[in-house]
Amino acid sequence: MAETKAEQPRLTLASSDGEDIPVDKDVAERSVLIKNMVSDLGEEAMTEAIPIPNVNAAVLKKVIEWCTHHRADPPAPTDDDSDSRKKTTDIEEWDQKFMQVDQEMLFEIILAANYLDIKQLLDVGCKTVANMIKGKSPEEIRKTFNIQNDFTPEEEDQIRRENEWAEDR
Amino acid sequence: MSTYKKRAPKAPEAAKRDPLAALRMSDMVISKPFLPIELIAQIVDHLNAADMVRFASVSRKMHEMIYDDARWVQRLKKMGVWSDVEARRTGGGRLSISRPERKSTINHSLVNGKGRPELNINGLPASPRKSSTVARARDFDGFDMISLSGPTLEAANPPATKEETLHALENVKSVRGQARQEYGKVYKVLNLFYVDAIHAVSYQSTRIFSTFALPEQRALMFTNIRTFAMSDFSPGTGIREQRIHELIMQYDTAALLEFRSGYEYKDIAGRMKQYAHVMHMLNGGQSGVDLFLNDNRLLSRKSELGSVSDCVDYSLGYGQLSLERVQAYFDRLGNAYRQEAAVIHSVFPQPAEVSLLYLERFGEELLQPFLTALFQDARTRSTSVYLRVLSGSLQTTSKFVQDFALPENADEGMINRASAVLVKLFAPHLQSYLDEELAFFRQNAEREVERWDRNLAEQAASAESFLMSNINRTADKKDFMASFKKVVMMPVNILPSFSKPTIKRTDSGLNPSSRSDSPMPRPLTPALPSEAPTDELAAKAALMTSRLDNIKTLFSIDVALNLIHAAKSSLERAAQFIALGGPSGEIARERCSAIYLILVDTVGNKHVKTGFDKAIEHLSAYDARSQTPTNPTAHLGPVVAPLTTFVELVNVGDLIQQMLDVFFEQEIVRKGIARRDDFVAAPVKEKRKFEQMLDEHVASGLGKGIDVLMDEVEYLCATEQLPTDFNPTTQVFDAETVNKRASVFGVGDIDVSPTKPCLHIIDIISKHIGMLQGSTDKALIDVFVQEVAQRLFQALVKHIKRQRISPLGAMRLLSDLTAYTTHIASYRNPDVTLYFNALREVSQIYLFEAKTDTEIDEMSGIIADAERYRGVFTVEEVVEFAERRSDWLAIRSKVEGRVRGEGCLLM
Repeated sequence: MAETKAEQPRLTLASSDGEDIPVDKDVAERSVLIKNMVSDLGEEAMTEAIPIPNVNAAVLKKVIEWCTHHRADPPAPTDDDSDSRKKTTDIEEWDQKFMQVDQEMLFEIILAANYLDIKQLLDVGCKTVANMIKGKSPEEIRKTFNIQNDFTPEEEDQIRRENEWAEDR
Repeated sequence: MSTYKKRAPKAPEAAKRDPLAALRMSDMVISKPFLPIELIAQIVDHLNAADMVRFASVSRKMHEMIYDDARWVQRLKKMGVWSDVEARRTGGGRLSISRPERKSTINHSLVNGKGRPELNINGLPASPRKSSTVARARDFDGFDMISLSGPTLEAANPPATKEETLHALENVKSVRGQARQEYGKVYKVLNLFYVDAIHAVSYQSTRIFSTFALPEQRALMFTNIRTFAMSDFSPGTGIREQRIHELIMQYDTAALLEFRSGYEYKDIAGRMKQYAHVMHMLNGGQSGVDLFLNDNRLLSRKSELGSVSDCVDYSLGYGQLSLERVQAYFDRLGNAYRQEAAVIHSVFPQPAEVSLLYLERFGEELLQPFLTALFQDARTRSTSVYLRVLSGSLQTTSKFVQDFALPENADEGMINRASAVLVKLFAPHLQSYLDEELAFFRQNAEREVERWDRNLAEQAASAESFLMSNINRTADKKDFMASFKKVVMMPVNILPSFSKPTIKRTDSGLNPSSRSDSPMPRPLTPALPSEAPTDELAAKAALMTSRLDNIKTLFSIDVALNLIHAAKSSLERAAQFIALGGPSGEIARERCSAIYLILVDTVGNKHVKTGFDKAIEHLSAYDARSQTPTNPTAHLGPVVAPLTTFVELVNVGDLIQQMLDVFFEQEIVRKGIARRDDFVAAPVKEKRKFEQMLDEHVASGLGKGIDVLMDEVEYLCATEQLPTDFNPTTQVFDAETVNKRASVFGVGDIDVSPTKPCLHIIDIISKHIGMLQGSTDKALIDVFVQEVAQRLFQALVKHIKRQRISPLGAMRLLSDLTAYTTHIASYRNPDVTLYFNALREVSQIYLFEAKTDTEIDEMSGIIADAERYRGVFTVEEVVEFAERRSDWLAIRSKVEGRVRGEGCLLM
């Protein structure tokens, strides 16, 4: 997955299930977590495998695939202005294809992106999920996110009435 | 993380306390991934409103998250309908304080990613079931809103009225805690149209089109859904926005077509206005404005308004560009423009902006070609016509812009833009114009001086005419300067038919005795009043010139006046361009000061300086003796002709300098070409140089003048002083004289009045000094007086030493010296008065008869009394005076002995 280039310095990432995955430094540094770690560790980071304890090999490889494709992207805007983040453009085609995985994997990717602090990947993941639950009923949503319904039927009815305005006519 | 963990309520706290919990969790085998709530919150950000509220009914936690007011405020903000200011005003302080607290509670528990919100942290009793009731009691988001929003929404279940739909966005209130409800109201009415529009094939098939009939309403609705689209965060929003934009563009194009046909059928108040507003709403109305500007009737029919050839006046029998006709053209233009401006004002919702755009276009398409052609035509005719036409057009154009194009309450930005139009029109011509103006003036100035020089050369052969005399120069000059100032302050009338307010002002100051009632070609034009003072000035100048007749061979006040006039009109024309501001104004300013420099240079160096040089030459060439035959003393009183001429010259030079000074004040300083106190500015420097040059010449001329004056004095002394004046005893004494003398003085009668040369000299000196008064620097005059007095003193000493003086003649000498002393004392110069006093003291030694020893003793005492002469004479010098006694040979040894003896005694 990770393209190998002779002149690129390379790092080794150790997945939670013990697999060592070599990766180009600039690809790995799409992750803010790894980037900070590398700058903290210095030369050591080049020689020893960096443990990524929360991410298994399959997910990590998927994430690296995304990072490789986006290695040349401009860095995400650092200021955490939620307004600008929410109004980002639609998911690009490559990302859409990339995200065509089962829901489990999708969630794993989102979690990994969150853990590794890869903002753009997290964003793409969230949008994909948002697309997924579009138009779904509450019950379907619960299933998707594995959430228990803790409302009484009356409360549920109340909420529905409150938000009648949102019902399509 | 796993699902069962979430259901164990105690787990989060355990995890929080145990730092290793996270590590342990990561080791767990994950069967099904569960997203922590902060990630779900991020996902929710990408949902549209309908999905969001469905999400709210998933669970309590989700409900709380979705109902978070900030989420909805953000959407309202995106649509630009939320105002923090208003929210702060409407929401009470308590409300806004409690909100962040509560929110932080939620977030805190959310971050943990498990369990329910721990309301416990706030110290409230919190079983999950009860929390809703607690919230209802004390908080504003969530369930407690049911009572507020429920009934209204249910009551409003019948679809909102059109009016409500149109103004849905305007009616949004910024109230904290109610953002969701407010957004709901907007969503309810607009989402329908929004979704419909996205799927519509064309703007005609949208629901907006079928629901609303009026174009304005449709336009408003389109803009409404465009705004509404801003709050759509769900994926694909970009495409949807694009779609809405396309629809609006379609509608805009359609509106433009309507607008155009409205314009064609002159349906100004109807369709044009309607669709101009529609387009304004849709996208600022730019396309409509463009169309209006591009297809403007006035602009496309510009030839009907006339062309340059209309501005040629043939009434004089030959073609001449006439500013009146240019003005008439602009009047026609103004009327046409006014009509268009009226259309603009009634049609467009932003008339000020459009009229400026129109003005810009107007200038570009209509004025520019016209002016260019006009200037070209003018240029082929003559330079002066070109200059006049160009500056006149500037005035006309700027007046046009002011009168027609700018509304009364124009703000600075508008004025700036309007003047930018002017700049654009004139900037291309400015450089060549200013060059011409400068060259024109330079040429004029040179020609004027040259012509004068030539005339002078022709006249050189003819005899110099001499003087009139004691006219009151100071008064004359004051009078002259007063008229001059009046004229300088008068604006030059570039446009005869223009009533400028400045002219009206001078009207009142008009001299009633001027020729304003004489028949004039256009008696009603305001140009008339300005002519009167000019005439007045001309008359005064003529008078001045006639009085200063004798110097007309040197330089002429007329020439200076003409030059100043020319400079003034050039400056007036060029100075207008300063008002253009910016780089053009800067160039104009430079040129204006250049004109002034040329003026000063021409008047100063070419004219006045040559005159002075010549006068000084005359002075140096003056020889008192050789002049005697032509000396006009007989009928004009005692004057040294060249010196008089020179003094007159100084007067005129001073006058010219004053003129330049007034001109500087009025034209240069007032027009902002240079500041008075700016010593670096070229005009100020040049002016100074001129003044300096004048002073230098006056000084050197006066130096020469003193020489000449003294020559004259000495000549008079030599020729007119009769030997008998101071030594009557050598003459045959007639008894009568002796008797008279005896009766007056007890010794014999004698003529005690000053001698003729004395009176003569005093007369000459006082006249010449008198002429200088007020004509140049006071200090200079003082120096002059002192020098004259000292030189006179020396001349007198020399003169006395040439005389032989008897005691009888001493009376006359004494009265001569008293006359000199009195006269010199009148100049109030203590130094020189001292000399003359001493001289008078000395003359007393001649009074002694010196017949007896006592008298000789007394006389010697006086001679030796150095105190008497206050250091002006030494004893030896006094003895030299004594030698001039007629009886010196007889008393010499006695006197010398006694004086020396006394001296020895003193020593």
